[in-house]
Amino acid sequence: MASAKKDLTIEGLVKEFQGGVRAVDDVSLTIREGEFVTLLGPSGCGKTTTLNCVAGLERPDAGRIAVGTAVLTDIARRIVLPPERRDLGMVFQSYALWPHMTVRDNLAFALRLRKVSRADIDSRIAATLELVELAGLEKRYPYQLSGGQQQRVALARAVVAEPRVLLLDEPLSNLDAKVRERARFWLRDLQRRLGITAVYVTHDQAEALAISDRVAVMSAGRVLQYAPPSDIYERPSSRFVAEFIGRSSFLRGEVVGVRAGRADVRLAGSGTVVSAATAVDTAPGDRVVLAVRSERIDMHGENATENLVRARIKSFVYAGAEYEYILDTPEGELRASSQRAVPGPDVSLHLPPNSIVVLRDDAPVS
Amino acid sequence: MSATGRARSFDRPAQWALAIVLTLLVAFPLAPIVYQSFLSDRLYESTKQFTLGNYALALSSPALWATVLTTVAFVAAATVISLVLGVAIAVLLARTDIPTRSVLHDLVLVPFYVSPLVLAFAWAILYGPSGFATIGVRQLGLPTWELYSVGGMAVVAAVYYVPYAYLYAIGSLALTDPQLEDAGRIAGAGPFRTLLSITLPLLRPALLGSTLLTLVSALELLSIPLVLGLPVGIDVLATFLWATASRATPNDYGIVAAVSVSMLLVITVLVWLQARITGQERRFVTVGGKAIRGRLLSLGRVRWVVAVLLWAYVLVCVLLPLLGIFAQASTSFLTPLVNPLELLTIDNFKQIFDQPAYVDSIRNSIIVSVVGGLVATAFIAFAVLVTTRSDFPLRGVLSYVALYPRAVPGIIVGIGFLWSTLLVPGLGELRNTLAVLAVAFTVRFLPIGFGAVAPSVVRVSNELDRAARISGASWLRTMRSVMIPLLRPALASAFVLLFVSFLKEYASALFLVSRGSEVIGTTMIELWRQGNSGPVAALASVQLLITFVAILIGQRLLGARLRG
Repeated sequence: MASAKKDLTIEGLVKEFQGGVRAVDDVSLTIREGEFVTLLGPSGCGKTTTLNCVAGLERPDAGRIAVGTAVLTDIARRIVLPPERRDLGMVFQSYALWPHMTVRDNLAFALRLRKVSRADIDSRIAATLELVELAGLEKRYPYQLSGGQQQRVALARAVVAEPRVLLLDEPLSNLDAKVRERARFWLRDLQRRLGITAVYVTHDQAEALAISDRVAVMSAGRVLQYAPPSDIYERPSSRFVAEFIGRSSFLRGEVVGVRAGRADVRLAGSGTVVSAATAVDTAPGDRVVLAVRSERIDMHGENATENLVRARIKSFVYAGAEYEYILDTPEGELRASSQRAVPGPDVSLHLPPNSIVVLRDDAPVS
Repeated sequence: MSATGRARSFDRPAQWALAIVLTLLVAFPLAPIVYQSFLSDRLYESTKQFTLGNYALALSSPALWATVLTTVAFVAAATVISLVLGVAIAVLLARTDIPTRSVLHDLVLVPFYVSPLVLAFAWAILYGPSGFATIGVRQLGLPTWELYSVGGMAVVAAVYYVPYAYLYAIGSLALTDPQLEDAGRIAGAGPFRTLLSITLPLLRPALLGSTLLTLVSALELLSIPLVLGLPVGIDVLATFLWATASRATPNDYGIVAAVSVSMLLVITVLVWLQARITGQERRFVTVGGKAIRGRLLSLGRVRWVVAVLLWAYVLVCVLLPLLGIFAQASTSFLTPLVNPLELLTIDNFKQIFDQPAYVDSIRNSIIVSVVGGLVATAFIAFAVLVTTRSDFPLRGVLSYVALYPRAVPGIIVGIGFLWSTLLVPGLGELRNTLAVLAVAFTVRFLPIGFGAVAPSVVRVSNELDRAARISGASWLRTMRSVMIPLLRPALASAFVLLFVSFLKEYASALFLVSRGSEVIGTTMIELWRQGNSGPVAALASVQLLITFVAILIGQRLLGARLRG
């Protein structure tokens, strides 16, 4: 690939901690130049460790990390560049702004180390602060800035020396909810304008979906699915991904027939046969789990002709934009939401075929 | 009186009682000194009159000004050396991959538990003009040094204060977000550059704190100038006060008081300045990240060189001198010219244990340290709870009062207590008792006890005591049933710390003991002045052993953590 010049490649990354726990277990990812990729997963899934291995803050036990042709880590060849020789930028969760330095000095540090001339330092700092909309705050100390401003200074510091790759370790998690949502747009916009390759770590699925070109969902040190946000949401590849992202309900069943792009599944509880649009290869007799997003369930399904499930409202809460229901069905408990209040207690649920994701039944119901 | 008809609360009266006792304790040694400084005669004589003459006399004395200059030189040198060493060692041991870090950590702290008096004897025995090492080096035809000098005093004092600077720095390093260093590395700085540009500057508030602590302690330090300076006529303010107060002519009373008050003023201003400056260092407050273990900076091969240097420091400055004490104690004559093993003897210990006066001093030290330490711990715990966990109206003022004694030199505490017992009718009975020693020591070490307990109290969520109050417990009951049990480990640590401090103490005891009520420290000074270095070493060995055993018991049985 001609454009593969500066892709960030991670191959076979393994990191074990004391006691033999594999924090990162054979992770391989290619992040294309200029791409915004998020490592998403619950705490302890290995996302931060992966990021730290890229940064050179942790030494992996196996694997190779390179940007284009520049090798950062190659355990097989005993290459592990120290962080200061990797030419990266990083935004830390705590921002890690040096409290004894002004905003200007925080930004100038990396430039001075790169022997940039004084005049250039000034102009680059000015330009970078302009970019993060903080022009004129050069002389402030970090404690004199608001949380949102600190976060932007941290970002400015990370990009001022024009690094190969920008690493972001949950940079928005210390912000208030409102500021955080705005910061997503802003961060994404900035990354596009700079055209910089970015690796972002978060446990916030909404943030990951909103901000990324591609998302790598991680669990127990492994990458479960690496795909664009819409695929992750619409076509989760495993039960874990479906459970972790969004709000899904799960129904057990057995495949009874396969047609073009469709699977007919007999539900375990009621014996009702439902039809699901599926991309997974299945054959009659396979035990499967059907995942359905709660907002895709039609709670006014009285007139539907197929994919009907009888339910009884167990409890509900009003969440502003919608009503959220917990429903008792022969298939177990389901969660569904509706923008209008649904008269109960008995309701008919319609599960549209293209809202059902067929997954292999390999995990116990939690 | 509450609407539920509950019995009258004893909370407020108990808090007032504590406040009054605490204030009296701190005022007790100070008031007579301030009073005396304006009197023409001894404060208990009827012929005394108001005068400013004492200050005039003190300020116009060239000899005194020379002493002030010497003191400044000594204090400044000791502070700078201890700070540079303590901080450098802390950064290296806490943030880099030096081999044998944890052993070095323990050894660097040893002087913390050793009386400066013992350290002074130890250095004199090893490095003094006729010391073991001095003569040994001279035998080899190499140039030697002059320990009995301002420089020598400063070095020994610095070794004594290194643990303070070290602990301050270590504490600050532990609180520093390790991501700040990571950010430095990512920005392109190597390990050494990161230490210099980021780690060290972040220690500035801690440095200020330990600088002031060392300045104030060195200013009042009596033992090291007494042992290493007095023989060659070097006077500092502490030795000057001691010598002048010992002469005790009416004139001397006034001068001692005037000089003491002046010293107190200077120290008070220093303490106030430090509090102000520390308050302005707000920019060092950083956003807390998730608690992650800091990665150690790798120094590569240089780490072996650094380890050797650190071991050299620990051996030469701490371990060998202490070994010298034991060697001196168990030989008849310690010299490199004769194999010490041929001169082994238990005479020095026999001399100590055959003399009832010396045995008494050991017994007295233990009694004062155990009983006094326990009472002081209980008192301090109560005081900390009132100042930090009650709605007592004067709690803010009270914590200043409790911390003020750190500005009061030990010798002034001793003189002040002596004068109080002379001045206040009915207190004369207390003179020369162990009780007055215990009280004086308590006042002297109030700040240390406070420092050991207060941080643990702050760490206990105040929702716990609120929950007890809501359940119907009075304040006293809440403290007794909720706070005290939770603070048990902190109180154990405070007790061990106070025990060791009481055991080491000599300066405030000098004017409060007489035959029968002496403690180890005062007896050692007396013996040293008689030139009996063998028995002194034997007594010092006993003190070191008791300290060692106490710390061991404290850590093993009481679970005391002696350093935050």
